[in-house]
Amino acid sequence: MKGEILTTKGAVRAEFDFWVGLYLDKFLDGLEQKKFIGNKCSKCGKVYIPPRKICGDCFEHIEEYVDLPDIGVLTNFTFTKWAISERRPRQSKNIKMIGLVKLDGADSAMLLPILKTEPENLKIGMKVQVVWSEKPQGQPTDIKGFKPIGGA
Amino acid sequence: MEKVGIVGYYQVKPETDIQMSRPEMIFYAARGALDYAGLKRDDLTTVISATNDYYDGKTISNCFTVEAGGAYLKDESKVEMDGAHAVNYGLMRCLSGHHKLALVWGASQPSTFYYSCIRVLENDPTFDRPINLLNDYTAAALGMRAYMNKFGVSVEDIAKVGVKNHKNAAKNPLAWNEAQLPDITVEDILNSEMLSNPVTKLMHALPCDGATALVLAPEGLAKKIIDDPVWITGVGLCQETYYLGDRDLSISVSMEKAAQKAYKLAGINDPRKDIDVVELFEHSAYEELVLAEALGLCEKGKGSSLSSEINGEIPINPSGGNIGAFTPCATGITRIIEAVKQIQGEAKGYQVKDANRAIAHGQIGFCAQNNIVFILEGGKR
Repeated sequence: MKGEILTTKGAVRAEFDFWVGLYLDKFLDGLEQKKFIGNKCSKCGKVYIPPRKICGDCFEHIEEYVDLPDIGVLTNFTFTKWAISERRPRQSKNIKMIGLVKLDGADSAMLLPILKTEPENLKIGMKVQVVWSEKPQGQPTDIKGFKPIGGA
Repeated sequence: MEKVGIVGYYQVKPETDIQMSRPEMIFYAARGALDYAGLKRDDLTTVISATNDYYDGKTISNCFTVEAGGAYLKDESKVEMDGAHAVNYGLMRCLSGHHKLALVWGASQPSTFYYSCIRVLENDPTFDRPINLLNDYTAAALGMRAYMNKFGVSVEDIAKVGVKNHKNAAKNPLAWNEAQLPDITVEDILNSEMLSNPVTKLMHALPCDGATALVLAPEGLAKKIIDDPVWITGVGLCQETYYLGDRDLSISVSMEKAAQKAYKLAGINDPRKDIDVVELFEHSAYEELVLAEALGLCEKGKGSSLSSEINGEIPINPSGGNIGAFTPCATGITRIIEAVKQIQGEAKGYQVKDANRAIAHGQIGFCAQNNIVFILEGGKR
């Protein structure tokens, strides 16, 4: 209810440390060096990025790490003027392009920003390449996004 | 499977801003379901609720709803999922033989928080949250595009689902007023505000305030309480991975597996022949097609050619479905109640002719990560 008298305001804020595990730690270390590190299930051969502790299909611990290239394919996309916010809905000035990017050699896709193109140029199956942040710090946001190869 | 009957139910009319407190809303649903069955609170042996701590803005939120939900000094538990999952919990308690009567309710009040914002907190905190691109708009957009791209389905075909559900909602007095649009057209849907391309506002389920409840009883007792209980004869539940980038979003593997389990328990061989009406929890219009296909009602990619109107071959969401009233945590219970009303012949204004066997469905997670399917049957043959 949003009536002036009938509600009281309250915010919920709590600090958490999320344990990333050694597998994700390796991935984040890789990002700091502008490298993609995934992992591979020894049973089914599926390559995950970001790395997973467990292969869902096989219910096996994944031990093997693999280097992956910084290019891949756009497997799905959307674009929106709405900011993705956990605080309150608001519209951004710029339309944000969002894509699922499957790196060459990987079996899973990452949801990341798509940059340096226009929404009307986006196509499923187009080749894309990473854009790194200038000063990577070992965080997911070191990946600024992906841009079309050849600058579509 | 031993039969469990639905002997009472109640739906609080969903509203944009319901003008009552959360406990009042829950009380009307819980008390209404008991009154329908002519039961007293003391008759209950267990109470199961469906709420979400994030939606309620406090942890263990069921500790505040004890009195309102009928659980005062009773056996009680909570499911932090869809209401349909709470019904499954109540069903299991009845089937255990240790409980005679289960009250199940679900409720939330999205007028008090920003639903699309809260959904962001559902994301994987180690990757998706820092990247911050996933909410219910963008997830639906990815699902819709995957489906259109895989099967060559047009945006108009998907908009038609929105047209059907909004028109059906207009016939259902307990749908959300803002979703009751008897004259809506495909153009209206396509021209409505773009949430995340290609999903527009009128093809998406928008949250509203509401609470629903039902009462479950084992076979012997159910027959003593009312003349025509509707029976749960099958249930199936399945979930897949959270990561959208691991999944083929154009199909629903979990829905297919959940349906197969439910069909097996209920002895259904051909859902196309054996099912009279379907109530689905579709988060967005395209999802109704993906889920109907996973139920085996048609070939994959052909959902838009199903005859799914109220007087069609296989009516889907005659009540308006989740687009007709999306009350988070309650909506899965609403789907079950709407299926029960169809079987009882109580769906006045949107009644499917001779409905005796129905599917009702609930889900949770982005792009229907987890699906639960109920088979409901009446006594008519």
